[in-house]
Amino acid sequence: MDTTLLIFLLVVVVLFVIGFLLLRHYEKQNNNAARRLKLAAQPYAFIGPVLILLLLAFGWPLINSFIMAFQNYKLTAPNAIRFNGLDNFQKLFDDSDIWLIITNSFVYVIVSVLGQFLLGMILALALRRKFRGRGVYQALVFLPWAFSAFVIGLIFRWSFNGEYGVINDLLVKMGLITEKIAWLGTPGLSLLVVILAMIWMGVPFFAIMILAALQSIPADVYEAADMDGCGPIRRYFAITLPYIKPTIIMTLLLRTIWIFNSFDLIVVITGGGPANFSQTLPSYMYTKAFSSYDFGLAAALGVLLIVILGVYAVFFLRVTKYNKAGDF
Amino acid sequence: MTPRVKRNLLTTGRVLLLALFLLGVLLPIYWMAVTSFKPHAEVINAQNITYFPQTFTLENYNQLFSMYDYGQMIKNSLIVSSSTGLVVTLLSILGGYALARYNFRGKSSMLLFFLITQMIPGILVIIPLFILFTNAKIINTHLSLFLFYLVTNLPFCVITMRSFFERIPYTLEEAASVDGCTKWQTLFRIVLPVMFPGIVAVFVFAFIGAWNELIAGTIFINTPDMWTVPVGLKSLIGKYDVKWGVLMAGGILALLPTAIMFAVMQRFVVEGLTAGAVKG
Amino acid sequence: MFRKLLAILLVLMLTVPMALVSAESVSLRFIDVSPSPARQEYFEKTFAKFKEETGITVNYESVPWDDAANKLTVLGTSNQLPDVMTTWAGWLGQFTSAGWVRPLSPYTKGTEDQYADTVTKLVWKGENELYGDTYTVPDGMMVKGVFVRKDWAAEEGLDLDPHKGWTYAQYFDAVYKLTNKEKNGYGTSFRGARGAFDPLFVYLQSFTGGKAYADDGKALFNSPECVAAYKTWNDLYLNSAAPKDAINWGFIEMVDNFTGGLTGTLINDSEVAATCIANMKDDQWMVMPMPKSDVDGKIYNTVNSPYAYSISTHSKHPDEAWKLIEFLTRPDNNIEYCKLTGLIPIRKEVGDDPFYGPDGYYATFMQQINDPAMVVPCAFGPFSYTDMHQGMMHEEMQKYLLGRQDAETSLNNVAKELETRMIDYLAANPGSKVEQPKGLSD
Repeated sequence: MDTTLLIFLLVVVVLFVIGFLLLRHYEKQNNNAARRLKLAAQPYAFIGPVLILLLLAFGWPLINSFIMAFQNYKLTAPNAIRFNGLDNFQKLFDDSDIWLIITNSFVYVIVSVLGQFLLGMILALALRRKFRGRGVYQALVFLPWAFSAFVIGLIFRWSFNGEYGVINDLLVKMGLITEKIAWLGTPGLSLLVVILAMIWMGVPFFAIMILAALQSIPADVYEAADMDGCGPIRRYFAITLPYIKPTIIMTLLLRTIWIFNSFDLIVVITGGGPANFSQTLPSYMYTKAFSSYDFGLAAALGVLLIVILGVYAVFFLRVTKYNKAGDF
Repeated sequence: MTPRVKRNLLTTGRVLLLALFLLGVLLPIYWMAVTSFKPHAEVINAQNITYFPQTFTLENYNQLFSMYDYGQMIKNSLIVSSSTGLVVTLLSILGGYALARYNFRGKSSMLLFFLITQMIPGILVIIPLFILFTNAKIINTHLSLFLFYLVTNLPFCVITMRSFFERIPYTLEEAASVDGCTKWQTLFRIVLPVMFPGIVAVFVFAFIGAWNELIAGTIFINTPDMWTVPVGLKSLIGKYDVKWGVLMAGGILALLPTAIMFAVMQRFVVEGLTAGAVKG
Repeated sequence: MFRKLLAILLVLMLTVPMALVSAESVSLRFIDVSPSPARQEYFEKTFAKFKEETGITVNYESVPWDDAANKLTVLGTSNQLPDVMTTWAGWLGQFTSAGWVRPLSPYTKGTEDQYADTVTKLVWKGENELYGDTYTVPDGMMVKGVFVRKDWAAEEGLDLDPHKGWTYAQYFDAVYKLTNKEKNGYGTSFRGARGAFDPLFVYLQSFTGGKAYADDGKALFNSPECVAAYKTWNDLYLNSAAPKDAINWGFIEMVDNFTGGLTGTLINDSEVAATCIANMKDDQWMVMPMPKSDVDGKIYNTVNSPYAYSISTHSKHPDEAWKLIEFLTRPDNNIEYCKLTGLIPIRKEVGDDPFYGPDGYYATFMQQINDPAMVVPCAFGPFSYTDMHQGMMHEEMQKYLLGRQDAETSLNNVAKELETRMIDYLAANPGSKVEQPKGLSD
C-alpha cells in the first residue's frame, strides 16, 4: 500500500474520532443558545464531508460540461473554440437511425430494470426464511455481482456466438432448434442477449438490497398480523411492501439511471450491431462524440442525459410519493 | 386442499425456484471454469464443443502467474477496494442519517445534486480529476484510485443509506431520547445495530464497485505493477490475439476474494437482527 | 484545542503526500499501448541497455490495447503525454490535428538510406502526403495476406501457389469451393462488424488504380464498377460462404474461427501468423498473397506498422526522446523486437534468420513487399475519421447485408460522408493535395 493512502485513511479515522469527541463535548453542555446552534448545525456537520468531496470532484466538470455543450469544442481544432448555440444538440439528433436507437434505449432500460427487480424480489423472498445450507447457497447465487462487466460481456458474447457458442450447441443437442441461431447477428436478438447479460449481472444486487431491507422488519409486526389472520399475499402487500418501499424506490431509481448510462456490456457484446439494432442513446452518441474528439458534442450528450434522467427522477419520486414513503 | 398439502406445495415450489436460480447463475460460471482448464486449441475448436476438458490442463493458470504478477494485482485491488468500502460506508452513515432524519435548507437540491452526479458521462469527470491528480502528483498511486472510487460510489451509497434509515421508525429514537440517550448514543446503540444488514450491503456495494472498475484503473495508473485485476484481465485482449483460457482463469481467480467476502458477509445481511434486539 | 488539532491535521493531509514524492531526476516516459509480458520484458531490458550507453533513464508505462485510445486522449487533453509513445497509424489524423505529436523530419533527414524501402517509400511518403511531415518511426512492418486452410484446399483440388499468386476472381472462386456446409465449414472469415470496411476498401480501390479521391476531392470508390464490386464482396455473406453470425464478427471472431477450424480463408495482417503458428499444425495452413486486381493485375495491399514510435509535443526532452527511438530501431534491437512480435524489420539488413527466409512462415509476406507489382492504395484521408470507422462504415454495410437498404445507398452514404470531409479538408488547408497510391518502384 502506498504511504499516501495509508496517511489518508489515518486522517479520515482521526477526523471521525475528533468529530465524535466534539459531539460528546457539545452534548454535555447545557447552554441553551449553544444547543440551538448545535441543532441547526447538526445535519450540515453530518453531510458536510460527503458534500465537500462531491462538490470538489463533480462541481467543475458539471459547470464545464454545461459551458462546452454550447461550444464548438473539438480537440482536433483547438483554435476554433467558440460558442455555437444549439449546434451540438442538433448534431446529436441529426441521424437517420435516431428513432431506432431511442426505441432500443427504452426497451433496454425497461426490460433490464424490471427483470432485475422482479427476479431480485423473488429471490429475496425465497431466501428470507432459514433453511439448511442457506449461507452457502447465498454465497453462490450472489456471485454474478462480483464479476466485472467486461468479463460478463465476454462470456455472453462468446456463449452466444452462432457457431462456436455453447448456447446454440446446447439448444441443438436438446432438440429445441435444428438450425443454428445467429444471436448476435439478428436484429432484436442481439439486444436480447445484452439485456440477458444485464439482468444476470444485476439480480444479486436487487436481491441483496431487498433482503437487507426485509431483515430489518421487526418480527412483532408480523406477529400482530398473524393474530389478525392475514394471508401471505395480503401480508406481503399490507406489511412487507410498505416497509421496504423506501429501499425499493431508491434502488429502482438509481439502478434505472445507472443502467441507462452504462454501455460497457453493449460495447463488449455487440458493439451496437447489427446495424445499430442493439445501440442505445448513450453508447451511440458517446462513441460518436468521443471518437471524433468532439467534446462539445460529448458535453451536449451529458446535458441531454441529465435533463432526461432529471425529469424522470422528479417524475418518479412524485408518482411514488417518495417523501411520504418514510412515514408509516 | 388441506393446509398441509398447501404448505408442501409451497415448499416444493420454493425449492424448485431456488434450484432454477442457482442453475442460471452457475452455468456461465461453470463454463468459465471448464474453459480455464482447456488448452487453447480445444477452447476455439468450433467443430466439437466439449462440456468437460478433453485434455485437462493447468497451463492457463501457470501462464497467468508466470506472465503477470497476478498476486500483486489482487493485492492492489484489495487495498483500493477495502479502503473505498470502509470510508464510503462511514461517510454514508453520516450523510444518510442527515438526509433521513433532519429537515434542513438545501436538502432537496443536495439530493438532486447527488442524483446528477450519477448522470454525467464518466469521462467528463475523469479528465479534470486527472489534471488535479497530476498536479497533486498522485497519479499512479493507490490514493488516486481510492479518491476516484470514493467520490463515484458516495452518492449512491448515501442515498441508499438514507433509505435504510428511513425504514427505522423514528419512534425508536424518540423512545431512546426520552430514556435520556444523547443523539450520538441513540445512533450508535439503537439505530445502527438495527440497520446493520443495510450497512453491510452498502459496504459490499462500494467494495464491488471499486473491485470491478476499469476505466479509472487504466487512466490513473501507468505501470503494470500498480494495475488492478480488471486492468490486468483487459490486457489479455490484444490487438491480434485473445487468450481465452488465461482470461477465464484470471476471471475465476478474481472471483475468489469476493466469493470469500460474500460468504462471510451474507450472514450479516441475511440474519439481520431479531426483534428482541430492537426492543432492547 | 480541537480547532488547532484539526488545522494541523489538515495541513498534514495536504503536505505529506507532496513531500513523499521525491524530486525526479531527468528521465523519459515511454508508453506501450499493447502490453504483453514479453513486450514489457523486451522494453525494460532494452531501456537498461540504453541507460548504460547514454545515462538516460526510461520509465516504462503501459495501458491495455482496448483502452489505449481513451487513455491517450485523456493524457493529450491534460498535456501529460509521455515523451515517447507507441502509436497506431489510425490515430495520426487526430493526433496531428490536435497537435500532440512532433514532426520528426529534423531528425530523420539524411538518414533515409538506412531504412527499408517500405519505410521511406511507403510509410513516410504517406505521412508526408497526408500530414505534411514524418511523425512516426515504424516499430516493424506488416502487410496483409490471405491465410488459407492448406488441407481443405488440397481436398477440393485447388491449386494454390503463393509464387504465382491469384486474382480476386480466383480468390472468390476458392472461397465458394471451400464452403462445405455438411462438414460445417465456411469459405471465409467474413468481417461484418468494426473494421469491416478496411479490406473492402482495398478491394474497391483495385478498380480505381488505388485511388480513393479525384484531385478535387470527389470520391472515386463509388463508381458503378465499384458498386458491382461491393455487391460481389458482400455476396460472400449473402450466399452463405460465411456463417450468418459473421455480420457481427470483429477481429476476435474472424481469427478464432479460422484457427478453430470453421472457416477456410482469412484476410489479415502478417501478425496473425503468430497466432496460427501457436494454434494450428503446419500442414493445416498456408499464406497466399493478396489477390491481384481483376483490372490491372497489380497487388493492392496495405503496409503498416502496428505500434510506431512517436514523440509527443508535451515532451520536454525531444532530443533524448529521439535518441531512444534511434536506439530502439537500431538494427540489432529492431531485429530482436521483430522476431519477438512477428514483424518485418524496418532496416535494410534483415539478418539471416530463416524466419524471414524463403522457407519461413513469412516467405509470402516478404515476397509481397519485394514485389514491384505491389501498390499501396490510398487511406481514408488526412482528416479524422475514427468516428466513421467505429460506426457508420460497417453499419451501412450491415444495413445492406440485412436487406434494409440497397448496395448503392450503402456505399454512397459512406462515400458521400468521406467526400464531404475530404473537400472540407482541401478547402481548409490551401496547398494540400489528395494522396496518391504508392509503389516500391516509384
